[in-house]
Amino acid sequence: MLLEASHLNIAYGDAPAVWDVSLDVDEGEIVSVIGPNGAGKTTLINALAGLLRPRGGALGIAGTDLMSVASHDFCRHGIALVPESRRLFAAMSVEENLDIGGYRSAARRHRNESLEQVYALFPALRERRRQIAGLLSGGQQQMVAIGRALMARPRLLLLDEPSLGLAPAVVNDVFAAIGRIHRGGVAILLVEQNVPKALEIANRAYVLEQGRIVASGAPEPLLARAEIREAYLGFAN
Amino acid sequence: MPSVTLLGQAVIAGVLIGGLYGLLAAGLSLSWGLLKYINVSYFALAFLSAYLTYQFGTFNGIAPWWSAVILVPAFFLLGVLQHWTFMRLRVTELTSLVVTFGLAVLIESLIQWIWTADFRKYESGFSGLTSKIGPFFVPTLDFLALVSATILAIATWSWLRWTYVGKALRAAAMDPEMASAFGIDHRRLSFLLSGICSAYAAVAGIFIALIATLAPSEIGTWIGVAFAVVIIGGVGNPLGALLAGILIGFAESVTMAVTQPAWAPLVSFTILIVLLLWKPRWT
Ligand SMILES: Nc1ncnc2c1ncn2[C@@H]1O[C@H](COP(=O)(O)OP(=O)(O)OP(=O)(O)O)[C@@H](O)[C@H]1O
Ligand SMILES: [Mg+2]
Repeated sequence: MLLEASHLNIAYGDAPAVWDVSLDVDEGEIVSVIGPNGAGKTTLINALAGLLRPRGGALGIAGTDLMSVASHDFCRHGIALVPESRRLFAAMSVEENLDIGGYRSAARRHRNESLEQVYALFPALRERRRQIAGLLSGGQQQMVAIGRALMARPRLLLLDEPSLGLAPAVVNDVFAAIGRIHRGGVAILLVEQNVPKALEIANRAYVLEQGRIVASGAPEPLLARAEIREAYLGFAN
Repeated sequence: MPSVTLLGQAVIAGVLIGGLYGLLAAGLSLSWGLLKYINVSYFALAFLSAYLTYQFGTFNGIAPWWSAVILVPAFFLLGVLQHWTFMRLRVTELTSLVVTFGLAVLIESLIQWIWTADFRKYESGFSGLTSKIGPFFVPTLDFLALVSATILAIATWSWLRWTYVGKALRAAAMDPEMASAFGIDHRRLSFLLSGICSAYAAVAGIFIALIATLAPSEIGTWIGVAFAVVIIGGVGNPLGALLAGILIGFAESVTMAVTQPAWAPLVSFTILIVLLLWKPRWT
């Protein structure tokens, strides 16, 4: 197992947001987490990226215990995050954003190779590499956010709602890119509100509601359940 | 109207003093922009460095360049220590102004206690040196201050712009959490930067000792100009601070030449207010 999280409890101050969540991602998998607004999806994925520290439970990657690893060392263990609403370094250029992604020393050695991979995946970024990231369109900013994470040369890519606020055609591009990244050998954990897309691309999925996992499994059996179709696709039959 | 020669001389004097303004403002600009500390203790530290240069030169026979060799690394360490203390005390951007102002007052009292409130002038033997360019006199020490300020500003700017550490510092100032997600240890880098800010104060102080007359009460008079320089130059931009320093030095000096010296202190604030109202893109 690549990523293993068991019985995670995560809270903001005294307010618990995620309880007793166990989840894993194997090499070569795409795993989706779906759930309604406020379910705790961002909380969970940020904890997996080291941004938030769980109160309890266990978290590990490829046999390494992450609970005692410093936040800024998570990326050394092959975890990279594409955060909700992108969080680019808005005043910096596209290529500077990508360089921050490739900051860790092991990634720096492959800088040019990684840049070529990112520009091959998103040709629009090559021509805009000197532009200020904050002035790009939403879709291009999402490409920078994904590219930045790829520059870290992750084994596990965490994506938090990459389709948020994007036009349908751009959403298709983003999902096509996720597919290509996955075929390149990177495991993916995807949080999405776009449930049809998230389940179409996934090998497995978890349903998170009010901070707890309420269902999990392969997409087809999940979709075979009427209550899940009703809650997430808007129809029961 | 003064003569053309006199005006030209005023322009030269103003531009040269701008180098010193730039040096003095660099620490505040960098720490405000990249560490989120509005640290006004650097002005007092600059005067501490000036007094030490004076002390070493006058009583210990140590030449100013040897003082630089001692003071720059010593102040770098002082800056690191200061930052460590601020982090232990959980100083924030809001409280930093108060805390560092208190520290500045403390350093000023220390200076007054050691060297008294009397005016002190470091007779380095270089004060009178000038070169003559056409009809104009260029004081050597002021020129050296401008050259040093320019070299340091370009070096710092390039470091922030082109190196991994520089990019990491800028990124962490915008979003420390995301920066840390990509392996940036902001704590470690901030020690380095606070050392650099304090080292800038040491350099500024050495030139203040060489050029100006020292008195503890002088610290306050430089703070206003330095704030204007930092804001006009763009917070966190060392090259901007130098250019703004030169602009203010130039404007003050020309104002003094065509009106009365009493108007000079108003110049920096007038420029500041005009720029704040006009809001050009770089501020
Ligand atoms: N910084 C915060 N401080 C306090 N509470 C928070 C914070 N961020 C989120 N929460 C709370 O934690 C719960 C889970 O929020 P979270 O953002 O993880 O949900 P989500 O599933 O990502 O929702 P969305 O689909 O809207 O992105 C919510 O009740 C939210 O109000
Ligand atoms: Mg969310």
